[in-house]
Amino acid sequence: MKRGHIYTFVFMIVITAVLVFALAAAYEGFKPSIEKNKLLQEQRAVLYSLGLDEGLTDADIAPVYEESIEPAALNGIEDVNGVKVLAHVKDGQTVAYAVPFDGAALWGALRGYLGVNADLTETTGLVFTYQNETPGLGGRIDEDWYKAQFRGLPISKGSNLAYGAFDSYKLDAVTGATQTSSAVLRTVNKALNETVFAGEVQ
Amino acid sequence: MAAEKIGANFKRNMFTENQVLRAILGICSSLAVTNTMRNSLVMGLGVAFVTGLSSLTLSLMRNIIPFRVRMLVQTLVIAAYVIFVDLFLQAFLPDISKQLGPYVGLIITNCIIMGRAEAYAQSNPPIPAMFDGFFAGLGYTMVLLFISLIREVLGFGTIFGMNVNFIGFETWTIMIMPPAAFFIIGSMIWFISARAAKKEAPKAK
Repeated sequence: MKRGHIYTFVFMIVITAVLVFALAAAYEGFKPSIEKNKLLQEQRAVLYSLGLDEGLTDADIAPVYEESIEPAALNGIEDVNGVKVLAHVKDGQTVAYAVPFDGAALWGALRGYLGVNADLTETTGLVFTYQNETPGLGGRIDEDWYKAQFRGLPISKGSNLAYGAFDSYKLDAVTGATQTSSAVLRTVNKALNETVFAGEVQ
Repeated sequence: MAAEKIGANFKRNMFTENQVLRAILGICSSLAVTNTMRNSLVMGLGVAFVTGLSSLTLSLMRNIIPFRVRMLVQTLVIAAYVIFVDLFLQAFLPDISKQLGPYVGLIITNCIIMGRAEAYAQSNPPIPAMFDGFFAGLGYTMVLLFISLIREVLGFGTIFGMNVNFIGFETWTIMIMPPAAFFIIGSMIWFISARAAKKEAPKAK
Protein backbone atom coordinates (compact mmCIF):
# COMPACT_ATOMS: atom_id res chain seq x y z
CA MET A 1 0.00 0.00 0.00
CA LYS A 2 1.34 3.39 -0.93
CA ARG A 3 1.26 5.99 1.81
CA GLY A 4 2.27 9.61 1.77
CA HIS A 5 4.38 11.73 4.06
CA ILE A 6 1.38 13.00 5.93
CA TYR A 7 0.42 9.48 6.98
CA THR A 8 3.96 8.95 8.31
CA PHE A 9 3.90 12.20 10.28
CA VAL A 10 0.48 11.56 11.76
CA PHE A 11 1.42 7.98 12.60
CA MET A 12 4.55 9.06 14.48
CA ILE A 13 2.70 11.76 16.40
CA VAL A 14 -0.12 9.43 17.39
CA ILE A 15 2.12 6.55 18.46
CA THR A 16 4.38 8.86 20.45
CA ALA A 17 1.39 10.42 22.20
CA VAL A 18 -0.08 7.01 23.04
CA LEU A 19 3.18 5.67 24.47
CA VAL A 20 3.95 8.82 26.45
CA PHE A 21 0.47 8.76 27.91
CA ALA A 22 0.79 5.10 28.89
CA LEU A 23 4.15 5.71 30.58
CA ALA A 24 2.91 8.77 32.41
CA ALA A 25 0.00 6.72 33.74
CA ALA A 26 2.38 3.94 34.83
CA TYR A 27 4.64 6.45 36.58
CA GLU A 28 1.72 7.98 38.45
CA GLY A 29 0.71 4.49 39.55
CA PHE A 30 4.18 3.57 40.79
CA LYS A 31 4.98 6.97 42.26
CA PRO A 32 4.07 6.31 45.91
CA SER A 33 6.29 3.22 46.18
CA ILE A 34 9.12 4.86 44.26
CA GLU A 35 9.07 7.91 46.54
CA LYS A 36 8.94 5.69 49.60
CA ASN A 37 11.95 3.69 48.43
CA LYS A 38 13.87 6.86 47.64
CA LEU A 39 13.22 8.28 51.09
CA LEU A 40 14.24 5.01 52.69
CA GLN A 41 17.46 4.92 50.67
CA GLU A 42 18.27 8.51 51.56
CA GLN A 43 17.64 7.93 55.26
CA ARG A 44 19.66 4.73 55.26
CA ALA A 45 22.48 6.55 53.50
CA VAL A 46 22.54 9.30 56.13
CA LEU A 47 22.58 6.75 58.94
CA TYR A 48 25.34 4.81 57.17
CA SER A 49 27.55 7.89 56.89
CA LEU A 50 27.16 8.35 60.65
CA GLY A 51 27.81 4.67 61.37
CA LEU A 52 24.30 4.15 62.74
CA ASP A 53 22.76 1.76 60.24
CA GLU A 54 24.32 -1.47 61.42
CA GLY A 55 21.82 -4.30 61.74
CA LEU A 56 18.84 -2.10 60.90
CA THR A 57 16.09 -3.63 58.77
CA ASP A 58 14.13 -1.42 56.39
CA ALA A 59 11.35 -1.07 58.95
CA ASP A 60 13.77 0.21 61.62
CA ILE A 61 15.25 2.96 59.49
CA ALA A 62 12.53 5.60 59.76
CA PRO A 63 12.12 5.47 63.60
CA VAL A 64 15.88 5.58 64.21
CA TYR A 65 16.22 8.41 61.72
CA GLU A 66 13.41 10.42 63.32
CA GLU A 67 14.93 9.94 66.73
CA SER A 68 18.55 10.79 66.12
CA ILE A 69 18.84 13.00 63.04
CA GLU A 70 18.20 16.73 62.98
CA PRO A 71 18.94 19.48 60.50
CA ALA A 72 22.01 21.42 61.55
CA ALA A 73 24.32 24.22 60.53
CA LEU A 74 28.03 23.71 60.16
CA ASN A 75 30.02 26.94 59.94
CA GLY A 76 26.74 28.66 59.23
CA ILE A 77 26.13 26.41 56.24
CA GLU A 78 22.69 24.85 56.40
CA ASP A 79 22.57 23.21 53.03
CA VAL A 80 24.79 22.33 50.09
CA ASN A 81 23.02 22.92 46.78
CA GLY A 82 19.66 22.38 48.44
CA VAL A 83 20.57 19.26 50.42
CA LYS A 84 20.41 19.86 54.16
CA VAL A 85 23.37 19.44 56.50
CA LEU A 86 22.27 16.94 59.15
CA ALA A 87 23.46 16.15 62.63
CA HIS A 88 23.36 13.08 64.80
CA VAL A 89 21.96 14.37 68.09
CA LYS A 90 22.09 12.20 71.19
CA ASP A 91 20.70 13.44 74.53
CA GLY A 92 20.69 17.00 73.24
CA GLN A 93 24.34 16.86 72.22
CA THR A 94 25.58 16.83 68.64
CA VAL A 95 27.72 13.73 68.15
CA ALA A 96 28.45 14.00 64.45
CA TYR A 97 27.49 15.76 61.23
CA ALA A 98 26.41 14.29 57.90
CA VAL A 99 27.70 16.74 55.31
CA PRO A 100 26.11 16.47 51.86
CA PHE A 101 28.39 16.80 48.86
CA ASP A 102 28.09 16.76 45.13
CA GLY A 103 30.66 16.70 42.44
CA ALA A 104 31.45 15.36 39.01
CA ALA A 105 32.87 11.87 38.61
CA LEU A 106 33.88 10.17 35.37
CA TRP A 107 30.45 9.66 33.78
CA GLY A 108 28.09 11.74 35.80
CA ALA A 109 27.27 13.47 39.02
CA LEU A 110 28.35 12.10 42.35
CA ARG A 111 26.21 12.85 45.38
CA GLY A 112 26.27 11.61 48.93
CA TYR A 113 27.12 12.36 52.53
CA LEU A 114 30.39 12.59 54.40
CA GLY A 115 30.06 11.97 58.11
CA VAL A 116 32.40 13.87 60.47
CA ASN A 117 32.44 13.84 64.26
CA ALA A 118 31.39 16.91 66.23
CA ASP A 119 35.01 17.92 66.99
CA LEU A 120 35.79 17.84 63.26
CA THR A 121 38.81 15.63 63.88
CA GLU A 122 37.64 12.39 62.29
CA THR A 123 35.36 11.13 59.56
CA THR A 124 32.60 8.76 60.57
CA GLY A 125 31.77 7.45 57.13
CA LEU A 126 31.15 8.09 53.46
CA VAL A 127 28.09 7.18 51.43
CA PHE A 128 26.86 7.84 47.92
CA THR A 129 23.23 8.57 47.21
CA TYR A 130 23.79 8.94 43.50
CA GLN A 131 26.53 7.68 41.23
CA ASN A 132 26.54 6.67 37.62
CA GLU A 133 29.94 5.04 37.28
CA THR A 134 30.74 1.94 35.22
CA PRO A 135 29.29 -1.08 37.03
CA GLY A 136 32.04 -3.46 38.07
CA LEU A 137 34.72 -0.77 37.75
CA GLY A 138 34.04 2.76 38.99
CA GLY A 139 30.73 1.54 40.35
CA ARG A 140 32.67 -0.40 42.95
CA ILE A 141 33.05 2.80 44.99
CA ASP A 142 29.61 1.82 46.24
CA GLU A 143 30.93 -1.43 47.70
CA ASP A 144 31.39 -1.73 51.41
CA TRP A 145 35.14 -2.35 51.46
CA TYR A 146 35.71 0.97 49.70
CA LYS A 147 33.28 3.05 51.73
CA ALA A 148 34.35 1.46 55.02
CA GLN A 149 37.82 2.90 54.49
CA PHE A 150 36.35 6.32 55.15
CA ARG A 151 35.44 5.54 58.71
CA GLY A 152 37.74 7.13 61.27
CA LEU A 153 40.08 8.99 58.91
CA PRO A 154 41.88 11.88 60.62
CA ILE A 155 40.91 15.27 59.18
CA SER A 156 42.14 18.74 59.88
CA LYS A 157 41.93 22.19 58.37
CA GLY A 158 44.04 22.56 55.26
CA SER A 159 45.09 18.94 54.89
CA ASN A 160 43.59 16.92 52.08
CA LEU A 161 42.98 13.20 52.07
CA ALA A 162 45.01 11.17 49.59
CA TYR A 163 45.35 7.56 48.46
CA GLY A 164 48.26 5.59 49.87
CA ALA A 165 49.63 4.41 53.18
CA PHE A 166 50.41 7.17 55.65
CA ASP A 167 51.37 7.37 59.31
CA SER A 168 47.85 7.85 60.54
CA TYR A 169 45.74 6.22 57.85
CA LYS A 170 45.68 4.03 54.76
CA LEU A 171 43.37 4.53 51.80
CA ASP A 172 43.05 2.35 48.68
CA ALA A 173 41.67 3.43 45.32
CA VAL A 174 39.62 1.06 43.13
CA THR A 175 41.89 -0.86 40.77
CA GLY A 176 41.08 -0.08 37.15
CA ALA A 177 38.98 2.95 38.07
CA THR A 178 41.54 5.67 38.62
CA GLN A 179 39.38 8.48 37.28
CA THR A 180 36.42 7.62 39.47
CA SER A 181 38.61 7.06 42.52
CA SER A 182 40.28 10.43 42.06
CA ALA A 183 36.92 12.11 41.53
CA VAL A 184 35.65 10.71 44.83
CA LEU A 185 38.64 12.05 46.69
CA ARG A 186 38.40 15.41 44.93
CA THR A 187 34.75 15.67 45.92
CA VAL A 188 35.41 14.60 49.51
CA ASN A 189 38.24 17.10 49.84
CA LYS A 190 36.00 19.79 48.40
CA ALA A 191 33.40 18.99 51.04
CA LEU A 192 36.08 19.18 53.73
CA ASN A 193 37.47 22.50 52.53
CA GLU A 194 34.25 24.22 51.55
CA THR A 195 31.84 22.95 54.19
CA VAL A 196 33.48 21.23 57.14
CA PHE A 197 36.31 23.73 57.58
CA ALA A 198 34.73 26.62 55.73
CA GLY A 199 34.31 29.08 58.55
CA GLU A 200 37.42 28.55 60.63
CA VAL A 201 40.20 31.07 60.82
CA GLN A 202 43.12 30.29 58.56
CA MET B 1 6.74 -17.95 5.79
CA ALA B 2 5.08 -21.10 7.08
CA ALA B 3 3.96 -20.84 10.67
CA GLU B 4 6.52 -22.27 13.04
CA LYS B 5 5.38 -24.47 15.92
CA ILE B 6 5.89 -22.94 19.34
CA GLY B 7 8.05 -25.87 20.44
CA ALA B 8 10.29 -25.49 17.42
CA ASN B 9 10.47 -21.75 18.06
CA PHE B 10 11.48 -22.43 21.66
CA LYS B 11 14.20 -24.86 20.63
CA ARG B 12 15.50 -22.51 17.97
CA ASN B 13 15.76 -19.52 20.30
CA MET B 14 17.13 -21.42 23.27
CA PHE B 15 19.67 -23.62 21.53
CA THR B 16 20.24 -23.77 17.80
CA GLU B 17 20.04 -20.03 17.23
CA ASN B 18 20.73 -18.75 20.72
CA GLN B 19 21.04 -14.99 20.37
CA VAL B 20 24.10 -14.65 22.57
CA LEU B 21 26.06 -17.70 21.52
CA ARG B 22 25.13 -18.01 17.85
CA ALA B 23 24.18 -14.48 16.81
CA ILE B 24 26.64 -12.81 19.22
CA LEU B 25 24.04 -10.24 20.25
CA GLY B 26 23.60 -8.74 23.70
CA ILE B 27 27.23 -9.31 24.63
CA CYS B 28 27.66 -5.99 26.44
CA SER B 29 25.19 -6.76 29.19
CA SER B 30 26.27 -10.40 29.30
CA LEU B 31 29.71 -9.20 30.32
CA ALA B 32 28.48 -6.64 32.77
CA VAL B 33 25.67 -8.04 34.89
CA THR B 34 26.75 -11.66 35.23
CA ASN B 35 28.76 -11.30 38.43
CA THR B 36 25.88 -12.59 40.55
CA MET B 37 23.03 -14.90 39.60
CA ARG B 38 20.38 -12.64 41.08
CA ASN B 39 21.38 -9.73 38.81
CA SER B 40 21.48 -12.05 35.81
CA LEU B 41 18.05 -13.46 36.50
CA VAL B 42 16.42 -10.05 36.86
CA MET B 43 18.23 -8.66 33.82
CA GLY B 44 17.31 -11.73 31.78
CA LEU B 45 13.66 -11.63 32.76
CA GLY B 46 13.60 -7.89 32.06
CA VAL B 47 14.93 -8.51 28.56
CA ALA B 48 12.56 -11.44 28.00
CA PHE B 49 9.62 -9.31 29.09
CA VAL B 50 10.60 -6.38 26.90
CA THR B 51 11.43 -8.54 23.88
CA GLY B 52 8.20 -10.48 24.16
CA LEU B 53 5.90 -7.49 24.57
CA SER B 54 7.66 -5.27 22.06
CA SER B 55 7.53 -8.06 19.49
CA LEU B 56 3.82 -8.50 20.21
CA THR B 57 3.12 -4.79 19.91
CA LEU B 58 5.21 -4.32 16.79
CA SER B 59 3.69 -7.37 15.16
CA LEU B 60 0.18 -6.07 15.88
CA MET B 61 1.11 -2.84 14.15
CA ARG B 62 3.19 -4.40 11.39
CA ASN B 63 0.70 -3.54 8.66
CA ILE B 64 0.22 0.09 9.62
CA ILE B 65 3.81 1.09 10.41
CA PRO B 66 5.20 3.16 7.55
CA PHE B 67 8.15 1.14 6.26
CA ARG B 68 10.57 4.06 6.15
CA VAL B 69 10.22 4.93 9.84
CA ARG B 70 9.84 1.38 11.14
CA MET B 71 13.10 1.51 13.09
CA LEU B 72 12.02 4.70 14.80
CA VAL B 73 8.79 3.05 15.81
CA GLN B 74 10.63 -0.05 17.03
CA THR B 75 12.94 2.00 19.20
CA LEU B 76 10.02 4.00 20.53
CA VAL B 77 8.01 0.93 21.52
CA ILE B 78 11.05 -0.81 23.03
CA ALA B 79 12.00 2.32 24.97
CA ALA B 80 8.50 2.59 26.41
CA TYR B 81 8.62 -0.99 27.72
CA VAL B 82 12.13 -0.52 29.10
CA ILE B 83 11.10 2.59 31.01
CA PHE B 84 8.18 0.61 32.35
CA VAL B 85 10.55 -2.13 33.58
CA ASP B 86 12.82 0.51 35.11
CA LEU B 87 9.91 2.11 36.97
CA PHE B 88 8.71 -1.30 38.11
CA LEU B 89 12.13 -2.20 39.52
CA GLN B 90 12.43 1.18 41.24
CA ALA B 91 9.04 0.70 42.82
CA PHE B 92 9.21 -2.92 43.90
CA LEU B 93 12.83 -4.12 43.77
CA PRO B 94 14.85 -1.01 44.73
CA ASP B 95 17.99 -2.97 45.70
CA ILE B 96 18.22 -4.67 42.34
CA SER B 97 17.36 -1.43 40.58
CA LYS B 98 20.31 0.22 42.31
CA GLN B 99 22.70 -2.59 41.45
CA LEU B 100 21.70 -2.87 37.82
CA GLY B 101 21.74 0.91 37.58
CA PRO B 102 22.34 2.12 34.05
CA TYR B 103 22.00 -1.38 32.57
CA VAL B 104 18.22 -1.34 32.82
CA GLY B 105 18.16 1.71 30.60
CA LEU B 106 20.58 -0.04 28.30
CA ILE B 107 18.08 -2.84 27.65
CA ILE B 108 16.91 -0.45 24.91
CA THR B 109 20.18 -0.89 23.09
CA ASN B 110 20.26 -4.65 23.59
CA CYS B 111 20.51 -5.78 19.98
CA ILE B 112 18.48 -8.91 20.66
CA ILE B 113 15.26 -6.92 21.00
CA MET B 114 15.58 -4.92 17.83
CA GLY B 115 17.01 -7.99 16.13
CA ARG B 116 13.85 -9.97 16.89
CA ALA B 117 11.67 -7.01 15.89
CA GLU B 118 13.39 -6.71 12.53
CA ALA B 119 13.92 -10.38 11.84
CA TYR B 120 10.68 -11.87 13.11
CA ALA B 121 7.96 -9.60 14.48
CA GLN B 122 7.88 -7.53 11.32
CA SER B 123 6.72 -10.42 9.16
CA ASN B 124 4.89 -12.75 11.55
CA PRO B 125 1.54 -12.71 13.35
CA PRO B 126 1.40 -11.30 16.91
CA ILE B 127 1.19 -14.44 19.04
CA PRO B 128 4.14 -16.31 17.46
CA ALA B 129 6.06 -13.02 17.49
CA MET B 130 5.46 -12.65 21.21
CA PHE B 131 6.67 -16.17 21.90
CA ASP B 132 9.65 -15.67 19.61
CA GLY B 133 10.68 -12.55 21.50
CA PHE B 134 10.05 -14.11 24.88
CA PHE B 135 12.00 -17.25 24.02
CA ALA B 136 14.87 -15.22 22.62
CA GLY B 137 14.93 -13.42 25.98
CA LEU B 138 14.85 -16.75 27.81
CA GLY B 139 17.75 -18.03 25.72
CA TYR B 140 19.65 -14.91 26.75
CA THR B 141 18.65 -15.46 30.38
CA MET B 142 19.89 -19.05 30.25
CA VAL B 143 23.29 -18.02 28.96
CA LEU B 144 23.52 -15.24 31.56
CA LEU B 145 22.63 -17.62 34.37
CA PHE B 146 25.21 -20.14 33.20
CA ILE B 147 27.96 -17.52 33.09
CA SER B 148 26.96 -16.05 36.42
CA LEU B 149 26.84 -19.50 38.02
CA ILE B 150 30.52 -19.96 37.20
CA ARG B 151 31.39 -16.41 38.21
CA GLU B 152 29.43 -16.30 41.44
CA VAL B 153 30.63 -19.69 42.69
CA LEU B 154 34.28 -18.95 41.95
CA GLY B 155 34.19 -15.23 42.68
CA PHE B 156 32.05 -15.07 45.82
CA GLY B 157 31.65 -18.73 46.80
CA THR B 158 27.87 -18.34 46.72
CA ILE B 159 24.83 -19.27 44.60
CA PHE B 160 22.03 -16.69 44.68
CA GLY B 161 23.79 -15.24 47.72
CA MET B 162 23.78 -18.59 49.59
CA ASN B 163 27.14 -19.80 50.74
CA VAL B 164 28.35 -22.91 48.93
CA ASN B 165 32.02 -22.45 49.75
CA PHE B 166 32.15 -25.46 52.04
CA ILE B 167 35.80 -26.31 51.57
CA GLY B 168 36.84 -22.71 52.12
CA PHE B 169 38.76 -22.07 48.91
CA GLU B 170 40.15 -18.64 48.15
CA THR B 171 37.65 -16.80 45.91
CA TRP B 172 38.93 -15.48 42.59
CA THR B 173 38.79 -11.70 42.33
CA ILE B 174 39.05 -11.89 38.55
CA MET B 175 35.71 -13.73 38.40
CA ILE B 176 33.94 -10.69 39.86
CA MET B 177 35.41 -8.39 37.23
CA PRO B 178 34.07 -8.14 33.65
CA PRO B 179 37.09 -9.87 32.00
CA ALA B 180 35.98 -13.16 33.57
CA ALA B 181 32.72 -13.09 31.61
CA PHE B 182 34.77 -12.32 28.53
CA PHE B 183 36.74 -15.54 28.91
CA ILE B 184 33.69 -17.61 29.77
CA ILE B 185 31.58 -16.31 26.88
CA GLY B 186 34.51 -16.76 24.53
CA SER B 187 34.93 -20.38 25.60
CA MET B 188 31.20 -21.04 25.31
CA ILE B 189 30.99 -19.57 21.81
CA TRP B 190 34.03 -21.57 20.81
CA PHE B 191 32.56 -24.79 22.17
CA ILE B 192 29.14 -24.27 20.59
CA SER B 193 30.51 -23.21 17.23
CA ALA B 194 32.92 -26.13 17.11
CA ARG B 195 30.05 -28.52 17.83
CA ALA B 196 27.80 -26.91 15.26
CA ALA B 197 30.57 -27.08 12.67
CA LYS B 198 31.07 -30.77 13.37
CA LYS B 199 27.36 -31.48 13.03
CA GLU B 200 27.09 -29.64 9.75
CA ALA B 201 30.24 -31.02 8.21
CA PRO B 202 28.79 -34.38 6.99
CA LYS B 203 25.65 -32.67 5.65
CA ALA B 204 27.70 -30.39 3.46
CA LYS B 205 29.01 -33.28 1.38
